[in-house]
Amino acid sequence: MISYLRNKILNTLIILFLGIQVFIHFYNQKPLTKEFSQKTITVENFSSIVLSKSGITKIGSEKLNKIDDNNIFLEGKSYLENREYKIYGSNISIKIAEEISNSNDPVKVINSMGKLKAKGFENLDYESIIIFKGDIEFIID
Amino acid sequence: MINKFFLYLILSIFFSLTSYSDSYLKAGDTLIWDSGNKNYTANGDVEFKNEKFIAYSDKMIANYIEENNKEIFTIVELFDNVVIEFKDEIFRGNHAIYTRDDNTIILTGDVSIESPTRLLTGYELIADIDNNKRILNSADNESLVEVLLDNDEKN
Repeated sequence: MISYLRNKILNTLIILFLGIQVFIHFYNQKPLTKEFSQKTITVENFSSIVLSKSGITKIGSEKLNKIDDNNIFLEGKSYLENREYKIYGSNISIKIAEEISNSNDPVKVINSMGKLKAKGFENLDYESIIIFKGDIEFIID
Repeated sequence: MINKFFLYLILSIFFSLTSYSDSYLKAGDTLIWDSGNKNYTANGDVEFKNEKFIAYSDKMIANYIEENNKEIFTIVELFDNVVIEFKDEIFRGNHAIYTRDDNTIILTGDVSIESPTRLLTGYELIADIDNNKRILNSADNESLVEVLLDNDEKN
């Protein structure tokens, strides 16, 4: 009798463990179909470095807003610096994949020729071209 | 005495900081810096000053080289409504090109050269700044006016 009960319990336990294993197996294999939406991430007093065609560019701002994986907005006083230039302005938008940054706010630039002031700029980094806009004053050293 | 010295020192520092550099470039619309091709393109009410002259035009393209980590303009090209003020002379034309190596300005298209004592017009003006020499050509090259200024005073 005892032997019969022992076998019954053992069989029940084996079936139970097999059932748990099947359950775990199916739930582990199930593909992830749930979509996650990325929220805008904001960081204050931010500075970082970005590797682009023109080399390493240091960026910083009072507030960094990550709009999505490809777009960053540097809010408030901001700067871009690399081996060729230092751009000091505010409210600068950056498209990471296209390597484009721009701002419609006044900007000051220092490069190896002198110091420049403009009403805004568009930096096409992948083409090594910066377009300064508005009344431009470039003091040559 | 010490107060006067400090006042002089402060004023000197102030004026040295606020005074204009010898050279500058101004543009009303855009300034395009192409560091790949090493040039600047200025558009709209362009004003360019270097140690030799002041130039005004609608557009300017300036090529540069890098020497000792500094950028130096080598060729400056001016387009449309070109006016160049050099000492007491004013050069006008539709197009001008300044070459730093030989310090010459070549203007073309309805060129004039104006000074307190004369006004000459032609198609092409070659101004050799170092040698104080001006050559003014007409469009058909039939007449040529060469003006050799006093060369005693080097520019």
